[in-house]
Amino acid sequence: MQYMLMIHEDESVYAGPDGGAIMKATLDKHIALAEALVAAGISYSGERLKAAATATTIRWDHGSHHLHDGAYSESHEELGGYYLITVDNLDQALEWAKRIPIPGKGAVEVRPVWDMSDYA
Amino acid sequence: MSQDGGLGAAIIAARPAVVAALAARFRDLDIAEDGFADACELAMRHFADTPRPANLAGWLHVAARRRIIDRLRRDARHARLIAESSAEPESEDMAVISLFDEQIADERLRLIFICCHPAIAPDARAALTLRVVCGVPTDRIAAAFLMQAPAMFQRLTRAKAKIREAQVPFEMPPPHLWGERMAAVLATLEIGYALAYQDAGGSEPTADLGPEVLRLAAMLADLLPRDPEVLGLAALVRLGEARRSARVDGEGRMVPLSEQDCTEWDGGLIASATALMQRAAQIGRSGPYQLMAAIHLTHARRRHEGRTDWHAVLRLYDLLLAVRPGAVVAINRALALARVEGAQAGLVALGALNDGVLERYRPWHAAHAHLLALTGDRAGAAAAFRAALALNPARAERLYLEARLAETSA
Repeated sequence: MQYMLMIHEDESVYAGPDGGAIMKATLDKHIALAEALVAAGISYSGERLKAAATATTIRWDHGSHHLHDGAYSESHEELGGYYLITVDNLDQALEWAKRIPIPGKGAVEVRPVWDMSDYA
Repeated sequence: MSQDGGLGAAIIAARPAVVAALAARFRDLDIAEDGFADACELAMRHFADTPRPANLAGWLHVAARRRIIDRLRRDARHARLIAESSAEPESEDMAVISLFDEQIADERLRLIFICCHPAIAPDARAALTLRVVCGVPTDRIAAAFLMQAPAMFQRLTRAKAKIREAQVPFEMPPPHLWGERMAAVLATLEIGYALAYQDAGGSEPTADLGPEVLRLAAMLADLLPRDPEVLGLAALVRLGEARRSARVDGEGRMVPLSEQDCTEWDGGLIASATALMQRAAQIGRSGPYQLMAAIHLTHARRRHEGRTDWHAVLRLYDLLLAVRPGAVVAINRALALARVEGAQAGLVALGALNDGVLERYRPWHAAHAHLLALTGDRAGAAAAFRAALALNPARAERLYLEARLAETSA
């Protein structure tokens, strides 16, 4: 089954004086995680997103919409990236999700992906 | 007809093992529950006037499995499950089943781990475990959670859907996940325990759960005899249940633990709790459930020793507070301190706790009132009893608080 691991994190940890070093350490851990996924033979994809300040949101309300500058979420923990992994079950997905580096405050949401072959 | 009651009880006793085996095999809680319900119906009909088999669980399991496979065969989407079951004969006269004395593999722990998965909300976990493992009817669970039956039904449906859709595994978790998973199981059981004992007066729906939670805790202690916290929780549940009949007086008024008539306590349950605690102690890894059980056991000793060792109670609360800080523990510790060092010391400890949030917490006001009354501050005690009464106590506690208020105002 496919799961999406959505990474929500507080971007401000990367903005302080040690931000650059924290960013580098975090990226190294992501690379290590990707290598571990490959080593485990798990098919995956994933992307890092640019800062929430670069986001534009289209907000809909029953047919009408307007655009606004910024991310959808009101919280300080923004969607910063995701992994899409194929594993056997939720426990395995949660184990990989726990290995995603979160240097400050944040959360990783694990969601099963609809299997479209169920409709074949 | 006398056979009927016995059969019902035997079916209830067989349920966890049979449903667990079915769930492990078919990987779906609804399929397992429905199959078990079908098998029960068959059993009730079949053994209405013939003696039931010695291995009723085995009979129910075979009957349920065949019913399920019959149903799956009619539904092409379950091709994989059917392929695995190709050796299964078409359904036949159920009497034949009695000829096989089939032993079922014990999958109860697997089922408990599924129902108590940390990916499910704790309240929903407790409800699901009581429903699926113990077979408590949904309306009774709803009543215990102070919910309407349809809302509880929806909560259970949602939990089962999450297990299915997010693919919570039906395998045993690997060893390195056990710590986290056991914590979730124990927390689930603790919710059940709290539900069963929240109302001293035993307003039917919640008191009803006591024996179910007792059975569940005993089952877990049986399955995990080397986990001292599991043993501690099983002992805790027993000690609570042992005092049930002494918790209210003839008029339905709550009787506080230290004033209960200990000859009314159930000595058998206390003895078995003591044995569980001794086994836990031999393993030598302490934890909050063992500490809570030890506190209750210290109180239970009054039955033999005629007095309560409040120094021991206070020491245990200090330890518990260190591993599991919280308002309830801190309030109880202040009450124990008052027994050891006097009411004034208890009041000081209690006052130090109040950060404003406890203003709306009934046990805090009740403890405050009790200690103020001990120091002779009748006006202060009366005000605190009124504050506690204003915070919606259950009937038994309300009657108790009203009586105490009347004393202070007399």
